[in-house]
Amino acid sequence: MDDAVKPGDGDRVRAAADEPPPDDPLSELRGLLLAADEAEVVRLQQRLEDPRSRAEDISRVLPEAIAIRSQEDRQLTDALMPTVEEAIVRSARKDPGVLVDALFPVMGPAIRKSISNTLAEMLESLNRTLGQSFSAQGLKWRLEAWRTGKSFSEVVLLRTLVFRVEQVFLIHRKTGLLLQHASAGAAGVQDSGMISGMLTAIRDFVHDSFGGRETDGLDAFQVGEFTVWVEQGPQAVLAGVIRGNPPRELRGVFTEAIEKIHRDQTRAFEMFEGDAAPFESSREDLEACLKAQQQSGVAGAPRGRRRYVPLFAVLGVLLVLLGLWTFFSVRRNSRWENYLAKLAAQPGIVVSSAGRRSGKFFVTGLRDPLAVDPATMLAPAKLRREDVVASWKPYQGLDPELVAARARSVLEAPDSVTLRVQDGALLATGAASHRWIAEARARSRTIPGVARFEDRGLADTDVKDLEAARAKLEGTLILFARGSAELTPGETAKLADVAAELARLPALATAAGTAIRAEIVGRGDSEGTVETNLTLSRRRAERVLAALRAQGLETENLVVVGIGSTQPLRQERTEEDKQLNRSVSARVVAAR
Amino acid sequence: MIQKKVCMLGAFAVGKTSLVSRFVRSLFSDKYHTTVGVKVDKKQVAVGGEQVDLLLWDLYGEDEFQKMRTSYLRGSAGYALVVDGTRRETLDHAVVLQNRVEEVVGKVPFILMVNKADLAEKWELDEAALQDLIRRGWPAFKTSAKTGAGVEEAFLTLAQKMMDPSV
Repeated sequence: MDDAVKPGDGDRVRAAADEPPPDDPLSELRGLLLAADEAEVVRLQQRLEDPRSRAEDISRVLPEAIAIRSQEDRQLTDALMPTVEEAIVRSARKDPGVLVDALFPVMGPAIRKSISNTLAEMLESLNRTLGQSFSAQGLKWRLEAWRTGKSFSEVVLLRTLVFRVEQVFLIHRKTGLLLQHASAGAAGVQDSGMISGMLTAIRDFVHDSFGGRETDGLDAFQVGEFTVWVEQGPQAVLAGVIRGNPPRELRGVFTEAIEKIHRDQTRAFEMFEGDAAPFESSREDLEACLKAQQQSGVAGAPRGRRRYVPLFAVLGVLLVLLGLWTFFSVRRNSRWENYLAKLAAQPGIVVSSAGRRSGKFFVTGLRDPLAVDPATMLAPAKLRREDVVASWKPYQGLDPELVAARARSVLEAPDSVTLRVQDGALLATGAASHRWIAEARARSRTIPGVARFEDRGLADTDVKDLEAARAKLEGTLILFARGSAELTPGETAKLADVAAELARLPALATAAGTAIRAEIVGRGDSEGTVETNLTLSRRRAERVLAALRAQGLETENLVVVGIGSTQPLRQERTEEDKQLNRSVSARVVAAR
Repeated sequence: MIQKKVCMLGAFAVGKTSLVSRFVRSLFSDKYHTTVGVKVDKKQVAVGGEQVDLLLWDLYGEDEFQKMRTSYLRGSAGYALVVDGTRRETLDHAVVLQNRVEEVVGKVPFILMVNKADLAEKWELDEAALQDLIRRGWPAFKTSAKTGAGVEEAFLTLAQKMMDPSV
């Protein structure tokens, strides 16, 4: 403030100017000398006293004065601070909308940046977590990241957050009228004006129902597979209808769009009376929200550093698997070789080729039908039947075991006979019927590998039976009393046995392949004359024959012989010897 | 293309919804009335060769159980008060409503639709009260949701008033 003119001086000057000029010559002189200046002084005085002109003066120098003072020290700032603070508080209290409008373009980007940093950190930790987890899906994504050169987290986002922004509405906040609308493709667009209104109504409803400040509102809601995201600005809201699972980044796109629209359309918002035409120019901003989805689907610059740790883990697992596979494969092959060796050692099996074909073992060759079944040898060799394809052509082997087996089969050898082959001879041991032996001798020569039949070790069971019968008959003596040809009751009892044996004889002889004749031989002791004894012995034999006939025996083929004492059974030393010689018995002789 | 937000108000069962469902374009089901309390429909009219879309916010009829949500009124360029010509008290209600709406949205154009004009034999509206309102400058129209009488004219008048308040 300029203090050059003091109030005291002002009073004096005014007094001089108001008073009529006196006749004092000094005063007159002064009036002459200072007349021009006096008018100037009056003008200055008026200016100083008029508040309006003072304010005008100050307003001219104020910006410069503030600038100068601010450079010198902070006193001005300190002095103004309480006033400015008070002004802001009062402004916010009076109408928060003004402040919000002013701060919106500044706050939006700042908040967004902070959120995007947080998101980046979150993705990094997601990357780590997934890197450690080893699900099949995770591996697949790892592989894709490695192949395409994208970061793993990008791939995860791509695969997990599939979405499409289908429609975007720009809605006048106060009236709910639609300012602009964009949709991805023409499909599914209902009357967007009504939707816009209803959306606003629902937002109002939620806001009224659940309270909250003016700036709070419904930010997102889910309708079936659609998510509706609402991004709020001071004058308008942006509502995006999204199919699927939108990523958080999309929020940033929406926020950016609504901020840009507010910057560009400030005047259009102020003038809005229901005509949406000025907002045609914001259509691009809405379409940017539709495009954002496609970009996030394909975008993503490759990053230099990739993580190979999981890849090495995969390789490690593969190596272990390969090792296991090799082990099992080698073991299987060794089992197969063992099996083939055992097969080759088998009589009647000739392996002509073997190997592996389309994951299976195969073997071909010749096999004697009498040889062991190769399939039964698989289990002991620890091979699975379904892993082996075998193809055998039949043939007859000349191994001694097989020849013996074939001989047994051809000759229908009974169990009592043992057959083996040695130096081309078929050796038979044990016992068999006379008939089998005869047939075997004849038929054995037709068996391949048999040069001759050797049956010295083989007993003829039919001959044995005949011998046994003969021995029994010839050992059974029917005793007579001295000089008598009468049967005694004790001896009659033996007749039944004798008759039975005699009856069997023809059949036994036929089986043994021999012809026999049976005689009833009567004897006498050495007492008495030869003549008498011959007669008596013959009478004794006839008496027995008659008794045998009486037993029912066919006696036509029986010959009666009386030999007297000519061929005594024993040298007579005792009475017992004599008694034995006074007897009748049957005798079996070869027929002539 | 000009759009205007218009609220439709009236007592319970005066026939607002019938007016709306027969003469305007509807997209949403009536169940919004009972849930959200409002249903937005659209009525197209032509004013001076220009098409005007009236976005009709059909507010659920007020009764003692459900109060009108004043937040729905915000931003209205005009409103329609609907009364039932066969129920005397609905006109009184409309007067009360008009006062409340004016408190919220200020002096904006409005019309009075006296509905159910086809039911002349049951008419019980206080004609004197109605004439009084008309004298006070209320543009009143006798309408019928059944026959359609007066509906187009009413909406057109409202649209004209909103486009040019001097009409």
